[in-house]
Parts: sequence; structure tokens; C-alpha cells
Amino acid sequence: METSFAITGKGYVLMAADTTAARSIVKMKTDEDKIKTLSPHLLMAYSGEPGDTVQFAEYVERNIRLYQIRNVYALRPAAAASWIRRSLAESLRSRKPYSVNLLLGGYDTSSYNPQLFWIDYLGTMTEVPFAAHGYGAYFALSLLDRYHDPSASLEEGLDTLRRCIDEVSKRLVVTPGKYKVKIVDKDGVREIEL
Amino acid sequence: MNTFLERYSSTNAVSQLKRAQRLAEEEDEFTDSAWGSQAGYGQLMNGPPSFTVPNVPDPSSFLRLHTDDHADPNCRIKIQHGTTTLAFRFQGGVIVAVDSRATAGSYIASGTVKKVIEINPYLLGTMAGGAADCQYWETYLGMHCRLHELRNRERISVSAASKYLSNLVYSYKGMGLSMGTMICGWDKTGPAIFYVDSDGTRLKGDLFSVGSGSTFAYGVLDQGYRWDLTDAEAQELGRRSIYAAGHRDAFSGNTCNLYHVKENGWEFIANYDISKLHYDGPGDVAGSPGHGYGYGIRVQGRSSANPPEATAAA
Amino acid sequence: MARRYDSRTTIFSPEGRLYQIEYAMEAISHAGTVLGVLAKDGVVLAAEKKVTGKLLDLSSAKDGGYGGSGEKIYLLNSNVIGGVAGLTADANSLVNYARTAAQRHLLQYNEDIPVELLAQRLCDMKQGYTQFGGLRPFGVSLLYAGYDPHYQFQLYHSDPSGNYSGWKATCIGANNGTAQSLLKQEYKDDILVKDAIGLVLRTMSKTMDSTTLNSEKLEFAVLTLDPETKRPNAKIYRPAEIDALLLSEGLTKQDDDTEMKAT
Repeated sequence: METSFAITGKGYVLMAADTTAARSIVKMKTDEDKIKTLSPHLLMAYSGEPGDTVQFAEYVERNIRLYQIRNVYALRPAAAASWIRRSLAESLRSRKPYSVNLLLGGYDTSSYNPQLFWIDYLGTMTEVPFAAHGYGAYFALSLLDRYHDPSASLEEGLDTLRRCIDEVSKRLVVTPGKYKVKIVDKDGVREIEL
Repeated sequence: MNTFLERYSSTNAVSQLKRAQRLAEEEDEFTDSAWGSQAGYGQLMNGPPSFTVPNVPDPSSFLRLHTDDHADPNCRIKIQHGTTTLAFRFQGGVIVAVDSRATAGSYIASGTVKKVIEINPYLLGTMAGGAADCQYWETYLGMHCRLHELRNRERISVSAASKYLSNLVYSYKGMGLSMGTMICGWDKTGPAIFYVDSDGTRLKGDLFSVGSGSTFAYGVLDQGYRWDLTDAEAQELGRRSIYAAGHRDAFSGNTCNLYHVKENGWEFIANYDISKLHYDGPGDVAGSPGHGYGYGIRVQGRSSANPPEATAAA
Repeated sequence: MARRYDSRTTIFSPEGRLYQIEYAMEAISHAGTVLGVLAKDGVVLAAEKKVTGKLLDLSSAKDGGYGGSGEKIYLLNSNVIGGVAGLTADANSLVNYARTAAQRHLLQYNEDIPVELLAQRLCDMKQGYTQFGGLRPFGVSLLYAGYDPHYQFQLYHSDPSGNYSGWKATCIGANNGTAQSLLKQEYKDDILVKDAIGLVLRTMSKTMDSTTLNSEKLEFAVLTLDPETKRPNAKIYRPAEIDALLLSEGLTKQDDDTEMKAT
């Protein structure tokens, strides 16, 4: 039951993803990090078909890094999102598509805006103030419609994130357990203990 | 069983794709422009998802009918069964323990299978799923590990070896490979275990168990596991866990092969008959409880009866 | 000696030179001047037209397209203006390549191509022609006046060898040495577009061989930032606008006779 959330707030994007790696009914691992740092101001949470997820995430990670090495500056979040979406869309029509769902959160250092993109395995992309993937989305989206505040301070944002996690733990039949939480803001990327 | 359980997992994109296709067929009133985008929230169109169960009186027997690859080799859903393997990392290195049963449907094809593949003196691979796939590709991995040594003048790390294997099986994804393996060894970073399967999943961890009996093995293993286990305690835990799976899982059993990976490479500890373990225990070896592992033997003489004290005294 | 190593671009001479590249550069130093100045709030580009004449049909430049007569100054992308000096036919091919590269970037990243990256794309191609089998290098130098959010306003120059560099003010084509020393004297680090326009036009008028400075001999463009949308605004002047500008700057060059009379 993979679940991931992300919310924007004043100058930051918060991202949370569960840490379980499951195979059939067994949790193979409970401390897997499913949020990759793609560049100094860019985070990507990934979920989906086992195998595809890590392969695709590493492919993206290395291409974004390559761009940064070639051009000194990193891609801006919106440009990175477009490139990633395109990679997924091209893969969808290939012999073996990647089945990966993504949340991409970044801080645009040239416009001082936090940005969040919701991308699914079909290559759909939308920029959103908050987003979720997996079964958790069925609980979190309505909750966030009610409680999300785009100008929330970090503390308030974390409270909202806690609400999401608590609600999913309360209502979802099989709860994902522990979450890893990361933030991206003007200072870059950090991990946060909830 | 796996396929049925995958319905409970949001990770299965194939079923999502199927659902999307079904939607596209059912809902003709959708315009072409909405197709594929579904307004950005594809799965939200139909309300919360439900768990799909075959629409037959007895879903589990239906599933069995369509997943029994022994009776019908062409059945659509193949199930991995007939193994218990485990490995865990602790203060003294890595313990690798496996059973030795090979089944073909309900028939026990062999009771003396070597499910630990000795890749080289420092690396072990375990075998679950397709025996040929594991044996062939792990031997092949051994060849590349040796080439790595020759080219780089140092032994390959467990991480690199497992990544080589995972990239390799990932390139065959969807083409029928079936492997669930643990690559265990000791490198510059110390003892290490990586779980690699034919989905392309690769996980670093302290403790894994793979195969049809893995849940039974986990039950014992998780409860008895500590990092600071002594060598004797760790070997006993590996043995006891395989016994547990061999006892409870019909597709696992016969004997248990036990390996211990230390700084200077792996060491084969012993082969234990699981029936013997049940009745007599492992014999005179380190960590042995001195009696059989069987429940009856362990609780012999103990009783749950709780008579009033007067009656008990009388 | 040189003759034996002239005919192939891909062969070094014993002194370690690539003659064809040097000849291409030489050809450019006879071409119409292109001059660019980087200001704090924009970039200014001006170019001298060589193909003129009463019979040339310039009607499309007067009111068609995006401005400019299509000889020297081109819109490469919504955020980059290019000025070319050298073989016009080669330039057309490069402009087309630049536009395609910019669109490819837009398709892939959904953003305007960063200016330096566009220059790099062209230089990768130009360099290829100095190395691969029996091909002639592009006889074109370019100035790129552009804007991107990474480095704001920028001015780049690229030559036939595939070298490129960034400038505060530079000049390619005929008399580029003179123009550059003039620019060096007059350039101020915090110059604004309105002053840069004057600087560009004055320098142009001094370096051009021709006697008159008017829309028939001049192409002109300015890249600024729209104060409302904060998006780059590339303006390539139409002939009438150029004449109006020259008039307002008091730079409508007099005929030789009148000039002599004045002195």
C-alpha cells in the first residue's frame, strides 16, 4: 500500500513517502527511502511497479545531474518536470513502459517559488498546491482541500502533513507504517523527523 | 497466491493499466481530448477502488485451478512455491540458511537440492523461484565477479555484484524469469545482504527471507533476531527458522543447509535433517537447545490445566 | 607551403593551423558589421546591411513578419535575437538550426532555451564542420542577444571554429577592431538600454563605410524585459522605426557635401 503526499507552503514543498518495500503480503523492508534528491532544490517521490521505480528514478537522477554538469546551473523545477513527464510519456508507447507514479517538488531559485507537480505513469502532469499518490490519496485529497494553506509556515505545514498521515493510519485497511519526510526550500533539501 | 495478493497492493501498475483500459472501453461518451489525461486524476474518476475478486462461488478454488502450473503448464498465473531461504546480518557476519526441497506441484521432485549458490569464496547467492534461472544467472554473475577482480585488482563489493544481477534480470523483465535471491557476502564495508528479484527489485537490508515458507521463517527469525547475537546463537536462529518453515510449509522441508559468512569468506556449517531437528534437535553443535525443536517436545510435561489449589494439593 | 593543407578543413598544417577556418574568419571580417551592447536592463543589437539598391524589394520588411529585413538580424527564439556576419546562405542554415534547437528545448523542457545553451548547440555543429570529412566550415559569426532566468541578459559571440564567448559589448564583421576599441572607451558597466542605443548607433555611424546612416543600410533590435509580465520582449525595428530612431538620436548622417560645408 504505497502512499506519498506532498504539500506546498510559504517558500517550501514538504514531501512524505512511506518506507515499506512489500512483496505480496510480506514487508521486505521498512526503512526504504523513496524520495530522491535530484538537484540542490529538487525532490522526487516515486512509487509503482517494483523494479521500474528505482530504475526510472536513477535514470532521471543521472540525466538531471548530467544537465547540471554540462550547464553549471541545474534545471528549474518546471523544466525538470517537463523533461521527466516527456520521458514517461515516451516510455508509455514503448515495448516495455515504466509504470511509475511521481511527485516532483522543487524550489525555483530564480523566481523564489516553491513548485509541486503531480505526474502519473501515463505521463499526465499537473502543477498543484498539494498532491498524493496511492490509496492514501483517497483520504488525503479531501482533507487537504479542507486544511491546506498555501501560505502556511513550516510548523503549520507539518501539522497538515501529520493530519494526512494520521487519517490514513486511521482509515486505510493496510496502513503503510513509517514515513520519511523531506523538505525543499531556499536553503535546499533536508530530511525532517515528524 | 501472489497475484491474488497483488490486488491488495497499490504498486501493481499492470492492474491499474487494465483498469484504465476497461474504463476506456466502457465509457464511450468520453471525448478524444479527455482520453489519456482523465483530467489529471486518472484513478479518481470512479470513486474509491475496490478489491476485485473472481465472481465465482469459491474464489480460492477458482484461483487454484488457474494457478496450478503443475496440472496445466500453460496456466496464465504461475506461482512461485516450494522454497524457504533466509539470510541475516549480525555482529559476527552473515548467516545463510535454506531448505532443500524441490516440488513439482504436489510431488516432491528432490529432497537434496543445493539452494545456496557459491558464487565465489566471498559471495553466496540463494535460490528461490526458478532453479535454472537462479543457478544459471548466479553462476554467470560469478564469472563477472571474477572478471571484475582481474580488471580492477580488487574484489567486487556485494553492492556492485547485486546491482549487476538486478540490472541483468531487469533487462529480461516480463519475459518469464523467476528469481528471488539474496546476494550475501563480506566486503570492505563489512557483512552485507542484498535482496534481488526478477521484478528488478533490489533492497539492502539486515534480514530477509524468500520463498513460500518465508512467512513462517520470518515468524521465528524476527522474534529471535538481535545485532549482537553470538555466532552460536545466530547459527541456531538460522537453523531454527528453516526448521519452522520446513515444518509448517508443505513445499519446504527435507534438510537445512547452513552457511556462515565471515571476514575471510564463507564457511559451510552443516546439513541438518529437518525431521531429525523436529524430534532430536541439531545434536551436539554450537547453540543447540539439546532437544528436538518440535512443539510437543518443547512443552513436554507442561500443562495449561488450572485446578483450584485444594484439588491440586490432593 | 600552405597550399598543400588548404583544401581540407580536417587537416592540420605543419605549423598546427587549420587554414580553412582562418580563411572563413577572414571572409567574415569583410562582411557587414554587427554590433552588440549588453545593458543593465536589456541588450542592443545593430547591423550594417550590404545588399542594398533601389530595385531591391523591401516591402516585406516594411510591414510583414516580425520586423527586420531578414539579412542580418533574426529572431532565434522569443528570448534570443541573433545577428549574423558572413555568408548569408550559411547563416540561413544556422538560423534555421538555432530555431529548431530552441523549439526542441521548448518541447523537452517547456521553457525558453537558456541563451548560452543555444550558443553551445550551434557551436557543437560549427565545431563538427571543422573536423569531419571533407566539409567546409560555416563562414558565419553570430552575436546572440538573449535573456534567461539563470543569468538574465546576455550577449554571446560565436565564430566558425565553434568557439564562443560572452561579452559586455562586441562587434563582428568589417572594421570590428575600430568598433571594439571605440566600445572599450565608451562602455560603462551600469549602462542602461536608452544610453546603449545611442552608443550602438554612434559606434555604427563611425565604423560604417557608407556615407549615410539610414534604414536602408541599418538593421536594429533591442531585447528588454516586459515590466508587466517579466518576460523577454524582443523588438526588431522596422525601416520606418529605424529612421525615426536615428532622427531622435540626431544621427541621420549627412551627405559628404553637406558635411564638408559644415566644417
